[in-house]
Amino acid sequence: MPQAAQAPSAIELEAMGLDPTWSKLVTFETASGPVTWHVLDTGAGPTTTVLCVHGNPTWSYLWRELLEGLGPNYRVVAVDQSNMGYSERSHPRILAERIDELIAFGTTYLDGPLILAAHDWGGPVAVGAAAALNPVALILANTAVAKPKGVAVPPLIAAARSVVDLSCRRTPAFVRGTAQMTDARHRRGLVAPYRTPERREGVAQFVADIPLGPGDPSQAALEHCAEVLAGLDVPTLLWWGGKDPVFHDRFLSDLRRRVPHADVERLGDVGHLSPLASGFGDLVGRWLDQALLAPHGVAPGELELGSILDRFAAHAGSTEVLYRGPEGALSWAELLDRSATAAAALQAAGLEPGERVAMLVPPSIELLVATCAVWRCGAVPVVADASAGLGQLRRLVRAAGTTYAIGTPVTLRVAQALRMVPGASLAGFCSSPGVVDLRHAEGPPMTVATSSMDLAAVVHTSGATGPAKAVAYRHGALLAQRTALEDLLGLSGGGAFTTSFAAFMLLAPVLEARCLRPDIEVDAPSTLDFDTMASTLSGDAVGCAWLSPAAAAAIASSALGRHLPIPTTLLAGAPISSTLVQAMEAVTQGEVLAPWGMTECLPITDGTAPLLSGPLGGSSTGALLPGVSLKVLELDDDREVQAGSWGELVVATAWSFDGYDQSVRRTLDATVVLDGVAHHRTGDVGYLDDGLVIHLGRRAHVLFTPEGPLASVAVEQPIELVLGRRVAAVGVGPKGTQVVVIVVEDPGGLALAPAPTRDPVRAASTVSVAAVLTGRLPVDHRHQSKIDRAALAAAATTLLEGR
Amino acid sequence: MRVLLTGATSCLGRAVAQALRDRGDEVVTFQRHRAGRAPSDRVGDITNAPAVRSAAVDCDALVHLAALVAPRPRWSAAYQTNVVGTANVLEAAAGRPLVHVSSPSVAFGGHPATGEVALPARYQGHDRYTRSKAIAERWVLDHATGPVVVLRPHLVWGPGDTQLIGRIIERADQGRLVLPDRGRALIDTTYVDDAASAVVAGLDRCFDQPAAWGRPLVVSGGDPRTLAELVERILSAYGRTIEPRTIPAPVLGVLGATFERLWLRGEPPLTHFAARQLSVAHWFDQRQTRDLLGWAPRVGIEEGFARLARYASSNEPR
Repeated sequence: MPQAAQAPSAIELEAMGLDPTWSKLVTFETASGPVTWHVLDTGAGPTTTVLCVHGNPTWSYLWRELLEGLGPNYRVVAVDQSNMGYSERSHPRILAERIDELIAFGTTYLDGPLILAAHDWGGPVAVGAAAALNPVALILANTAVAKPKGVAVPPLIAAARSVVDLSCRRTPAFVRGTAQMTDARHRRGLVAPYRTPERREGVAQFVADIPLGPGDPSQAALEHCAEVLAGLDVPTLLWWGGKDPVFHDRFLSDLRRRVPHADVERLGDVGHLSPLASGFGDLVGRWLDQALLAPHGVAPGELELGSILDRFAAHAGSTEVLYRGPEGALSWAELLDRSATAAAALQAAGLEPGERVAMLVPPSIELLVATCAVWRCGAVPVVADASAGLGQLRRLVRAAGTTYAIGTPVTLRVAQALRMVPGASLAGFCSSPGVVDLRHAEGPPMTVATSSMDLAAVVHTSGATGPAKAVAYRHGALLAQRTALEDLLGLSGGGAFTTSFAAFMLLAPVLEARCLRPDIEVDAPSTLDFDTMASTLSGDAVGCAWLSPAAAAAIASSALGRHLPIPTTLLAGAPISSTLVQAMEAVTQGEVLAPWGMTECLPITDGTAPLLSGPLGGSSTGALLPGVSLKVLELDDDREVQAGSWGELVVATAWSFDGYDQSVRRTLDATVVLDGVAHHRTGDVGYLDDGLVIHLGRRAHVLFTPEGPLASVAVEQPIELVLGRRVAAVGVGPKGTQVVVIVVEDPGGLALAPAPTRDPVRAASTVSVAAVLTGRLPVDHRHQSKIDRAALAAAATTLLEGR
Repeated sequence: MRVLLTGATSCLGRAVAQALRDRGDEVVTFQRHRAGRAPSDRVGDITNAPAVRSAAVDCDALVHLAALVAPRPRWSAAYQTNVVGTANVLEAAAGRPLVHVSSPSVAFGGHPATGEVALPARYQGHDRYTRSKAIAERWVLDHATGPVVVLRPHLVWGPGDTQLIGRIIERADQGRLVLPDRGRALIDTTYVDDAASAVVAGLDRCFDQPAAWGRPLVVSGGDPRTLAELVERILSAYGRTIEPRTIPAPVLGVLGATFERLWLRGEPPLTHFAARQLSVAHWFDQRQTRDLLGWAPRVGIEEGFARLARYASSNEPR
């Protein structure tokens, strides 16, 4: 029954927490006559407008976080679609009509640059209209433009549709049910325009219009949307509630595959109505500022890099050994054959390009085969790092939204028991019920084209400084990294390397160099002694050893005057002591480098001159590698420091990570745009001296005293030099008025140091020391050398607080 | 300028008088008994308002240090000297510049103070000295009619100090020195000459820094040490090498409360308040104080200990 549009009263709007001045009725011409919509509009003024399109059964209320939180730089206009919200009730609309209406509204009511935001079934409407509205950016929240292959129609939608009249019109079940998916405080507002069956007619029609198959009237329009999306080359944000039973993670994977350059913010504990999640407006504002300022940089020429898969063909049939570990050796030919079979098996099991696969295989030949198989499917390996601990591992794997898991019978059982990969298909190199056997497949795998912009892997930081983070790499960055590493490791043209970091074995096919993996547990680098290293190499001429300081220390201390010729040894994970460098030089009779880098960006410097320091203390990490832009920023703002001062180090390279996986917020927090180039905040502090990058520790470890900030390393170095023992400097007290406390390494618990220890520390220190303690220094799992000064500071604070 | 100084016989009082005279100010002391030979000493009882008023009549500014400091004074005595005496000084100032010397303990709530700013004087416990000092500070802040700078010097010590150093040496010699939890609490102190220069700076800011008026400012060296180290170094300055005994902090608190109840007459060896004060950290954010006073400690704790050792070699305490 037709009904004119009617805006809610100011009192109603205020009761819902909306600004009454936002509410407007807008009449515009369409091909089939004039249409009147109710909109929430923050008002003209800003040149750029965010046009928001709700889904079903919601209305413009859904965008209140954006209306309130986006700030003064953007105008936000949230519409109520025809037959929805407070807009007019007239004839039923199909998708194509809705698209045309949105285009008509956008072209008549708005001008200036436009950003489209859409949720739920508003997604196809907005994307369909994008072809005509030419947005400068796109924001999609829990939506879809196509049903991913192998995914059933969301059962809730199917159920609503089969009894559409009962569920959607005659009873408020669908409206209420949807409103239940968010905070109680939003429920009243969400159901307000849908109180009677007449008001809900549009809801039912909307559900009936959802195309479920080729015969449905809107199927063609939906397919058109998918085409439009594929052609939209604008910054795109996928804002995703991870607890959505309707548009679940499979739909996110589908969108990610369609828009490879999209930035993703997946909120693990938010449901379907994700635009109502707090912080949405603030994040969109920050994201837009950056996305419009420094769009995803794909350097010219990078697109042509393709992916590492392109290089595999050259090794077909090669019997050259690519990997040798405690469990055996693997040749190129074996890798290619076995990964082809595994890829075909995965494809047969439904793995689609862009989907994520949890790699629950311990470092081994099988890990290499499985990773290459996943790459060949165009899918993304999520490389689980067991050294982070089981709890961390579960959190990271769950958050990655993996739809497949490859493991051993044991790891798969553990993953299932812990609900680490809920709903994922399981695969392994074994025959076990419910597990796809990757050793057998019918025929070769389908070839999948992979571009530089496609995600190559999700890996995890060590968690040495805060919780472990998931880091996403694109294929282009991986190839750029290959070039940088090749030069650094001296492996141009092949060769062999060994490493104490088990996960680095995956670099073997990337570098096209042989990896020799020592027989140690992944989380015990300090068990890598001289004899283990010698038997790992067993006469093979390695060009390079890439070791954690703990492993190097174990080798050096068990060498007993013996030599192990290695031309280049790389020590990763600062700080590196000069004694360790000298000891390794003696053992390897080669060059020892301490390059600087991190999971997000590796490598950054060449590691030369590790024994040098600079005028402000610290240790040299070598010269910047070609292609790296490094800036030193003040700690309290983003200005560059004056020459000769220290500050936070920020970097930009072609082989930087793409961002923290599915967390635009984290990525933005760790990004600063300088001269139009996005730089990664490394969280490290240091300075440049005579072309060398000098490292002064972590930003999180800076001591903020009344006299100014002090870098932990600069405080510790002169004391360690005199004492000959490892010490950690921590700040106790509120930032800005902290006092310096020195902890001297000692096997016992944390306690006040006796005078014979205390007095030399104070005498050696260049700054005033309030207290000297002795105790164990907590170190990270992965390197077993990075001191967790934040934990130490907390413990020292508790001790010195008294009780 | 001519400055009326109350409490001039204390360790800090002597240092303030010296610092003022050194720079050419005329110091008029106000005290109960004629101590020195200086004709500028005015004798009177601080609880007697007319006496204070007449002593101040020809002065340009006042510095109020006098207080009854004792572990367990009678409440009437504490109230008379610390509250009534302060009110009398404020009234006598009559709008002239005044530096009121308070104590950081007036904000003590039994919790550690780590880098804390000066909190309001809300002490509600039953330590009579602190209670009376809290009331006095609130009175000054509420009733000031002229430029008033309120300073809370924290743990003032130095050569000639009988309060802190005297007691530690005495206890140590009696074998009664006990530290809570091995003396792990981080505590800031103020070397006496630094406290004196802060008082002088406070006086000067009465004339040129309205932002410093009418708000309590904690004054300390800004370089804390653990209680264990403070005690050890004071003892070593006096040539003692005694290893103090340790006792769990909560036990010491209970002991203090018990002593207070059992000692009907005289000074108990420990009060609950003192036990708590020694058990938790006490150090303060000095940025605002230094900024507003335009002052920074010149001697500091390390040089302070060196001076103490030189002094101790020729003077036993008491």
